[in-house]
Order: sequence, then structure tokens, then C-alpha cells
Amino acid sequence: MNDERPAGFEAYWQDVLDELALYSARVEAEAIPIRTNDSATMYGLRFTSLGSYRLFAYLSIPVGDGPFPAIYWVPGSGSVISPIPQGSPSQLRSRFVAFSLAARGFRNADKPYAAAFPGLLTDGIEDPSAYRFRGIAADCVRGLEVLLSRPEVDAGRVVVQGGDLALFTAALGEGATHLVCTPSTFYKALDAAKGTDSEIADHLRLNPGSEAAVAGTLANFDPRWFAPRITARTLVQTAPPGGFLDRDGLSPLLGAFQAPPDVYESQQSNYKDGMFVEQWVSDRFGFDAPILPEHWRG
Amino acid sequence: MRPSPEGYVTKVRKPADFDEFWDGVLAQAAGVPLNPETSYSDLRSDEGVEVYETFYDSIDDVRIAGWFCVPRGSDGKLPAILTLPGYQGEPGIPKEWARKGYAAFSVAPRGKLRSNSQFNPGYPGLLTHNITDRNTYSYRGFYVDAWRGIDYLLTRDEVDAGRIGVTGGSQGGGLTVTTSAMRREVRAAIAGAPYLCGYVDSIELTHAYPYEEINDYLRLHPDSRDQVVETLAYFDGINFAGKITCPFVIYIGLQDQVCPPETGYALFDAVASVDKKLYTADGHGHNAGKHNIDKELDAFFERHLKA
Repeated sequence: MNDERPAGFEAYWQDVLDELALYSARVEAEAIPIRTNDSATMYGLRFTSLGSYRLFAYLSIPVGDGPFPAIYWVPGSGSVISPIPQGSPSQLRSRFVAFSLAARGFRNADKPYAAAFPGLLTDGIEDPSAYRFRGIAADCVRGLEVLLSRPEVDAGRVVVQGGDLALFTAALGEGATHLVCTPSTFYKALDAAKGTDSEIADHLRLNPGSEAAVAGTLANFDPRWFAPRITARTLVQTAPPGGFLDRDGLSPLLGAFQAPPDVYESQQSNYKDGMFVEQWVSDRFGFDAPILPEHWRG
Repeated sequence: MRPSPEGYVTKVRKPADFDEFWDGVLAQAAGVPLNPETSYSDLRSDEGVEVYETFYDSIDDVRIAGWFCVPRGSDGKLPAILTLPGYQGEPGIPKEWARKGYAAFSVAPRGKLRSNSQFNPGYPGLLTHNITDRNTYSYRGFYVDAWRGIDYLLTRDEVDAGRIGVTGGSQGGGLTVTTSAMRREVRAAIAGAPYLCGYVDSIELTHAYPYEEINDYLRLHPDSRDQVVETLAYFDGINFAGKITCPFVIYIGLQDQVCPPETGYALFDAVASVDKKLYTADGHGHNAGKHNIDKELDAFFERHLKA
């Protein structure tokens, strides 16, 4: 495992951002009546990213006078993009601009490219310039640009939430004031994959001669090399003790941020973990209390 | 202070012609040949597990995908596990079950990737697709797709037809309920944080997706409420539960914000099995504290499928 940042890391991503800048977003917004309620209007957005790829996002705007703080959910590991994440209370939409991105390959942004699950993680993995996540990372940055272009958004309170892609977005894009991330797939990805059922392990088993090429690609996606670029106030959620992604395991990443992030160790309870995150965001955004699901209230 | 979920009284009512309706669906399904197709996956197989990509036919001319796994080098008949997927996630490859000595099959009902070329209502969308008509409601075919996973297992030489278990979490938990109810071949089942049980309760108890899809629908179509409630009664796991007779385990989180724990209790009360157990996890949401009882759940299947 290479613990050094690749020499071409900055150039690789600058090329991506330069290329992205060549494509105007050309946003189309269409109201979605069935997802609109008394407290918020839902829109479906279509806009352009790298390679003229048209993306999709759900955008929910609270009723009333803004600007409003914003939550930006980047894609996770599944194909489905929900208007707000499964389990989040819909009442959130009365307080926040909610933005949920379908990057290329994900449902609602699956033409012309429909990603396979499993399959996406290794699509093009032997060539950094062809790796699907190069475009997906660019899509996430484009999503942040589109969100921040909305006049309803309070630019002083914009949180990006998710896994590695959230971290990439906060590092590569401009304007995220807060970041809540759970490092996962791309952290020391090659080491983490060995001996597991991961897609990367499958790829290496079938293509044993490709390890150097795979390592070369994945090195450009390791969260450790993105962290120094991040200025957003950050909460990192780690795995519970004993895993590859626990606090000790992530210490090289945690130490790489410009400012030490807040760190929360998962208690393997989406109730307890969720409560912590909601409280963290609420506190940072100056609210008296978070908006919680019915079954999380006392 | 929230009232105890244990004391909740469900609003689910069973239609008088519930059995007649499903008998008709089963009769339709019986007329559709399975046409199973199984191909070895070099990419997903490893030194311990053989992985096969599978397809079979279901009602309404929909082709259903799945993943079938067996321990490499096994001989003789194996106990089998059918794993059923959650609402949003794609069905995983059940290699862990194969490593535990089972033939394992993971089904992707209609609308999931690889099973969505003929039917693709989207997410959100699946839960309310044709929700005013029980004869065309999305879950009519979706349930059958899952049940036919049992038929697929029965085509495999590796599988001991007398030792089949079913399990899943969330929507997979709900499908575990309906599959156990409708397929006598199921000898033991584990349902985690079951979804699709207590629909009409859940849309009042929680305002989170996926159930929120129904509230969205009713907001736009308030005049359809009676028809929606009528349809959902035919698909509610609580109404299937009286048909379950195999050993059955349910586990729920008492802070589940997706599938309200009240519905888990109501489901447990309705399960007809003599051998049934409910695990409740205080301090846990939709993951229902499963990691704390994994050993007990493994032992349950071993007791009923490997003994």
C-alpha cells in the first residue's frame, strides 16, 4: 500500500475541474406535485456535467421567506436516490433546502449509462482517466454548484453529507460550509478490499495482473489526499472499535484535515448515530433543537 | 412521552375475500413456466463459493433476476436460504450464507436492477404504483416474484427441498412474512424490522420514506383514500401472518423511524406459529440491533435447517 500522495494527484483533479468548467450546467427545474407538501415544494432538476452528461437531483425548497440552510446528500452505494434519505423525517423539508443528487449511472441519471450494482465500483478501474468515479466526483461538484446557485440557499449554512463522495465534494468544490462524512470504500481501498467480498477483490481475482493499475487509479481517490483541501467544519463518523475504519484505523485521515474534525465513533445504532449527527448539524446551524423522526423523540 | 409500542392496536382489517384473491394470483402464477436460467459467474465466484447469475419468469411476462451461491466442492443435498431484499438496495450476492454451508439464493423482484426491463416504476414510486387496484398493484407481482424464488431453489439439485429457510430485513422482512405464509416449503424464517406490515398504521406513525410515498399520494389524491386502504389490506403482512406455521423469528428496533415498532408487535401477535420469538432492541432504529443477535439467528437456522 502506498502511503504517499500520488505525484499527479493535484494535476489529475485540476484536469477534472477544468474539464467540468467547460460544460455549462443548463439547469431545467420542474415541480413535482406529488412530492410537494404544505411546508415545501419539490423540484426535479436536470443539469449537465462532465462530458455533457445530464444528471438529476431532487430539490426541496421550504415555503416562506428564505434564505434557508441547505443539506446536500451525495449518492451512496446503492442505485436509488431518494428525495430525502430513507428514515429522515419529511418535516426536515420545512427547515432546510434539501438537495439529493443522482450522479451518472444512478437511477434517474441512468441514460445513457446505467451502472451495475455490483459493478460500478470497478468500471474502468484500470485507467484513471476512464474510471467512472472520475465523472461521478465531478457530478458531485457540479451538484454543489447548482445548489449554491439557488437564491433560496443561505450560503453560510450548507452541509454536504454522505460517504467518501461527500468528502471529495467538500474538497474539490467551493461553498460547503460543513461536512458530515463516513469514510468507507476509498480509504486505503486496495488494502481494505483484500480478503473480502468486495467488487475490487473480485476484479483482482479475475485480473491478477491488474493490481498495479488498479492501485494507481485508486490512489487518486483516497480520502487522505483530499482532506488537506477541506475548509468546511467537519464531522467524521468512524466505525466502532476493531474495524479497518475505526478511529485508530482512520487516524491518518483524521490528521490530514486542515483543522481537526469532530469525530464520532459509531455505536452501531442508526438511532444513536443519527441523533448525534442531527444534533451536530442543528448546533452548528444555530437551531434550538434538531427535527427528529417521531420514534427518536422522547 | 410516546405510548408503549407494545400496546398499540393495529388498524389493519382483513378483507373477507383475502384468501380467494391470493388463490387466484397463485393460480395465475401456476400457469407461468419458470424457465430458469443459471450461468456461472467467474467474476463473483471465489475459492470458497460458486456464484451463479440466474433468471426466471414470473407473472405479467416479467423476467426476474437473482444470485445463487453454493459452497465450492459440496456434494449431497444442502439446506437452503432464500434472502429477500430491502426497498431501496439492490439484492446482494449471498456468499456469506454459502460459507455457512447453505445453498443461498438472493432474488431481485420486479423493478430491481436486472429485473426492470419490463417493469420499472422507480423509487419513489414502487409503493404507490397502481395502488387503487389490487389486481394491478405493484406488490401483486412483486410478492409472486419473491415466492417463485422457492420454485427456483426447488429446481436445483444441490437443494434439500425439506430444509428451506427464508430471511430478509425491512422490505426483505415483509417479504419473508408473505413468503413463509404462502409457501409450505419454508421450514424456518427470520424477519428483521419488517416493512409492508401495518401500512395504514405506519403512515400515521411515521413521516419518513418509503411509507411517506403513500402520504404523498393521498395528499395529491385525497378522494382515493378508501380505495388505497382497500388495496393495501390485501397486501398487508399482518393479514398473511395467520397462515405462517413454521418456526418464526422477528427482530425490531424500538426507535425504528422507518418501520414503526408498533407494527412489529402487531405482526408478532398475528403470526400463527407455535414456535415464534420476538427480539426487541431498545436504543436501535431500523437496523434493529441485529449485530447483537447474529449468533442467535444463525443458531436458529442451524437448529431448524441443519439438524
